[in-house]
This record gives sequence, structure tokens and C-alpha cells, in this order.
Amino acid sequence: MSPPPPSVATAGPPERPHAPHRSPVDGSPGTWERAATAALGGTLLARGLRRRSFGGAAAALGGGWLLYRAITGRGRSARTFVPAPTWSSSGSDRTGSGPSDGATTVERAVTVRGDADELAGVWRDPERLALVAGHVLEVTAGDGDGDGVAEDGNVEGGADQSDEGRLRWTVRGPLGRVLSWETRVVEERPGELLRWESVAGAAVPSEGEVRFDPAPGDRGTEVTLRVRFDPPGGRLGDAAMGRFGVVPDALVGGALRRFRSLVETGEVPTLEGNPSARGRGDLL
Amino acid sequence: MRALCWHGVNDLRVNDVPEPELVNPRDVVLRVRLTTACGSDLHFIDGYLPTMREGDVIGHEFMGEVAAVGRKVDDVEEGDRVVVPSFVGCGNCGYCRGDLWSLCDNTNPNPELQEPVLGDATAGIYGYTHAFGGYAGSHAEYVRVPHADVNCFHVPDELSDEQALFASDAWPTGYMGADFCDIRPGDTVAVWGCGGVGLMAQGSAALMGAERVVGIDRFPERLRMAREEAGSETIDYTEVDSVVDTLKRMTGGRGPDACIDAVGMEAHGTGLAHAYDRAKQTLRLHTDRGEALRQAIVACRKGGTLSILGVYGLMDKFPLGIVMNKGLTVRTAQQHGQAYVPRLLEHVAEGEMDPSYLATHELPLEDAVRGYDLFKHKEDGCVRPVFAP
Ligand SMILES: [Zn+2]
Ligand SMILES: [Zn+2]
Repeated sequence: MSPPPPSVATAGPPERPHAPHRSPVDGSPGTWERAATAALGGTLLARGLRRRSFGGAAAALGGGWLLYRAITGRGRSARTFVPAPTWSSSGSDRTGSGPSDGATTVERAVTVRGDADELAGVWRDPERLALVAGHVLEVTAGDGDGDGVAEDGNVEGGADQSDEGRLRWTVRGPLGRVLSWETRVVEERPGELLRWESVAGAAVPSEGEVRFDPAPGDRGTEVTLRVRFDPPGGRLGDAAMGRFGVVPDALVGGALRRFRSLVETGEVPTLEGNPSARGRGDLL
Repeated sequence: MRALCWHGVNDLRVNDVPEPELVNPRDVVLRVRLTTACGSDLHFIDGYLPTMREGDVIGHEFMGEVAAVGRKVDDVEEGDRVVVPSFVGCGNCGYCRGDLWSLCDNTNPNPELQEPVLGDATAGIYGYTHAFGGYAGSHAEYVRVPHADVNCFHVPDELSDEQALFASDAWPTGYMGADFCDIRPGDTVAVWGCGGVGLMAQGSAALMGAERVVGIDRFPERLRMAREEAGSETIDYTEVDSVVDTLKRMTGGRGPDACIDAVGMEAHGTGLAHAYDRAKQTLRLHTDRGEALRQAIVACRKGGTLSILGVYGLMDKFPLGIVMNKGLTVRTAQQHGQAYVPRLLEHVAEGEMDPSYLATHELPLEDAVRGYDLFKHKEDGCVRPVFAP
């Protein structure tokens, strides 16, 4: 390999009138914002396509546009292009019976090769769960300190819970803002179900369960993940979470896909270190 | 390192980019020896296929030499000369185990970009939009290959780089298209398109025992290749009133037993239907032109097989009524290369077929922009430009 000649653009054909406006790479929003927008765009698109109505078409177009904006890195700031998400989507039920109106439940399923006992272990292992959670959420072993933001350190039932089953979830938003909360396992039926809840006073009250059912034939195990978020402040809370890149639909779907890859191949597909003329790394 | 990058519609440049590294334990990094342009690259170069990002390294058909090996790779060693299918398989999911490699569940890092549209996600592919995974492409000095044990195929010493190169994409695609036809003695197979994939489909159909193979195109040098290299009969569609009538006459009124569409949304035609397709495509009302596919459906014998290899976006008009009334079997897929590559390399070693004639132009990577220009406009008899980084 000889030293490369200087990087000079080779002349291409003239730009066509339809060619999209190109913005300099340094003017593009950060990966963080793009990730949030792409996830949101994908979600809107999915909803729009499922709804099959004029409104649905509009949502699909809007979603497609967001997706396009996100991956082309165009847009001015998070404020201008991350609209307040409404978390009641298909695949989710608006649950009115919760402590606040803003609660959203998302349920998704994947089929994974492997038996339930083997799969369940991943959901109690912070190291592997961190891979499953992806780049929006950080997962670490819980410290029993309750919530990282609220003063209230009282953990309901904390006395009789061991540290096992405690997990801390952290989201880092723009401008160094951090959202963090802790969950603990509240129910476990080996090879069948694992259920957890956020500890009292958590910044993001949430609960979730993962269920394992044998798939027909030799198809492995059907893994169903159900997560309920209850952001404080209703729709305003929704918007805040959206700015943190927390889009439950995308989180739940993405987590399940990464879980399947980790279990089936021992790794999660990634664009880490991916070379391009933008530099290195392509974490969408 | 140097790499060919997409910077916008019809804007390719050779740039300096960082070298890839081992990331996951089953990765290898390959030093690319040869890499070639594919017709499907033109879709995003022309702006018909979304989710490209400025600066993406492109290219998905390649072979090379292993430069670095991840710690969980068993069967590939530094220095091995290998050819790699364009779709990334994992080897462990239900699809890979069923030899449906381009449907792999575990290699697309951006499935959320496909699921809203397809209802599912395909495998990842090198250098081919972020919806298809976003992996850096092969038109570069080095490329990262995930799950190396199942994606790297050793090239026998007696084969040249050129002979191995097309086992990456064009040949397995064409071979799979012929395989879909379940060819039986006496069968006639018609192939729309005499580009790299079309020519490979024709040669493969002959290899599988087709009685007659007919290649359809309009470029004289490609039609000549179809006759001389693939042993096909040919139809220049600009010289006949009707491709369908010509095929019916050639087959005693029956029509071909199987029709392979190796054209896709690049299809050119000559009639009104073509003008309609082209107008819609230009206005971006939809991204596909379907003239070749429509001809194939009408020409095919009753109960015959329609094998679709052409890459389509979201074609909104498909004459399903004809397919249904004629009882056609439709088979289609992005290429399941890993299922075929060992067989293809064996065919070359046995002297049964040699795909290297596709390499009409060999250029250094620095000239890749010119190579794509020759390829896109089919100038100077260009079927495939091959780049040596
Ligand atoms: Zn290709
Ligand atoms: Zn797979």
C-alpha cells in the first residue's frame, strides 16, 4: 500500500436539479439527535402505513421525511425536528388506569433460536443486557440507591431485596442532561417470565416483563417484551423523553432484535468504527 | 485509506477515509484485491433508493486477502485469499440455516429503517444504503467482513482473482435465478437483460441443462457476449415488433418454460408502456419501470416459472391477474450467495464455466468514478468495470 495521494474530489457529472441540497457535515445534527429522529421517523412511518387512511398516509410521509432528515443529517436542532411523540401507537395500548395519563405500554415479540432457560439468563445479566439495550440506554448493575435524580432514596421493599435483580438505566440527553432510574425484579418464573418495576421515586416510573413461550415446531422460543413507561408530566413528559431519544416503540423493538442477535450469534450487529468520508463510526 | 464515496445524486468521489478495524469477535478485515460495480449501485447513485448518507463508501461485489482476524474466527487465517458474498449472513439464524442468507435476522444494524416499509428487515449488505445495513462498501483498500467463518470462501489456487470475483454477487444472483426455474430436459429459459447478472443467469441455465436459452437486450456487444460466452440465442428488442411474439414463434407457440427478469427498475423498452413508466419514474411517482417484467409475464408459458432477480423498489402496478390466470409460479429473492459459492468455484475449477469475461474494464481504484461513468452509460462495451485498490 503506497501513501495515498491527496484527497481531491474527482469531477463527477453536473448536479441534477433534483439533487438534494447538501449541507456540510459539521453543520449536521449529532448522532444522538439523528438516532432519536430516525427512530421516531421509523415509528411514525410504521404507524402511518398500518393505519391506511388519509391521516395514515400523512403520518407515513411525515415519518419518511423525518427518517430521511435523520439519516442525511439535515436539520437545525433537536428542537426543530424532534416533535413531541405521542406514545399511543399501534402495538401499544394507552393505559388509562395508571397513576398518570401519560402512561404508555409497548409490547413486541420476536422468535429466537434457543430454549427459554438459556434466554432468560440474559435479562438478569447487566453486561449482556447493556448490549441488548443499545446506544440510547445504558444499563449497569443497580446500587440500591433508588433514583439518581430524585432526593428520595427510600426504596420500597428495599430491605428484603438483595442487589441481585437491580438494574440502573441511564439516558444521556443533549447539553449533558442525564435521566437515570433503577429497577428491581419483582417476579420470576424460571423459563417462563421475568417482571421488573422501577423503584419508588424513580425519575421515569416504568415496569416491564419478558415472557418466554415455546414456538411451534423447531422454531425456538417466542420472546415477548412488554414495557410500560409512565413519564411524569403527561404529554410534556413525553416531549422531554423524546428529546432524550427515548421512543418506547423503537426501544422495545430494537432491544428484542439485539437480544436475538446476541443469543443466536454471540454478538450484536454494529456500525462501530465503520469508515466513511464523514470519519469513523456510524451509530444511527 | 482510499475509497470510493457517495456524496449525493450522481456525485461519487475517491476520498481518504479511516481504515476499518476488527469490532466484533467474528470479524475479519479484508485487503480488497478486486471489487466491481453492480447495476443495483445505479439505483442509489441516481437517487432512486433512499437512505444513503453523504460520505458513504460504496461497493458490494469483491474478493481479497485476509489482513486481520477476530478472536472468535476459526476457519479463516491471515493471508487467505477469499471471495465474500454481498449479503452478510450470520450462519446461526433460522434463515441462514435454511440457506436463505439474504434474509438473515442478525446482520442488519438498522432494521428499523426497513421494517416500516417491508414489515421486516433483510440481511445487511456492504456499501448499499443505511436501510440495507449501512456497512462500509468494498470500493476501498480494506473492508470489514462480519461473521467471517460463514462469509469468507477460500479461492482455490488455480483460480485467478477475476475468476473468483463474480462469485461474490453477479454469478450467485444469476445462478439462483436459474435454480429457481427447476430446469428440466427440453426447457427453454428466456432471460431479460444481458448485463452481468443476466449473462450469469444464462450461463447457469445452460449449465443446469436447459435445452435453449434466449437472452434479450439491445446492446450489440452484450448480445454478442450472450451468444459467444453464454451460448444463448438472442433477441435485440429494438429490432423486433414484439418480444413476446418472437419468443412464442421460437417455442412453437408455447412460450418459454421459465422467464428470468435480470433487469429490474432499470428496464428500457420502446413502446408506450415504456414512456409511461419513464414519465412516472422521472416524476418520482414511483421508482420502478416494469416493462421487462410485464413482457416476461405475458411471454411465459402457462404454468411456467417467473424468476425475478431485478431489484425493484415499491412497484405499484403489477399484473397479478395475468400471473394468476396463467398459473405462473413466481420466485424471487436477493441473492442467497453463501448457498451457492462453493458450487460456483467448483464449476470454474472444473472448467465448466468461467465468469471472468464480464470484466471488460480493469481500472485502479483512483479511476473508479470514470469506471462508473463507463458502466452507467454502457460506453466502450462496458459490462463490468473492475477496480484494483
Ligand atoms: Zn449487486
Ligand atoms: Zn442469519
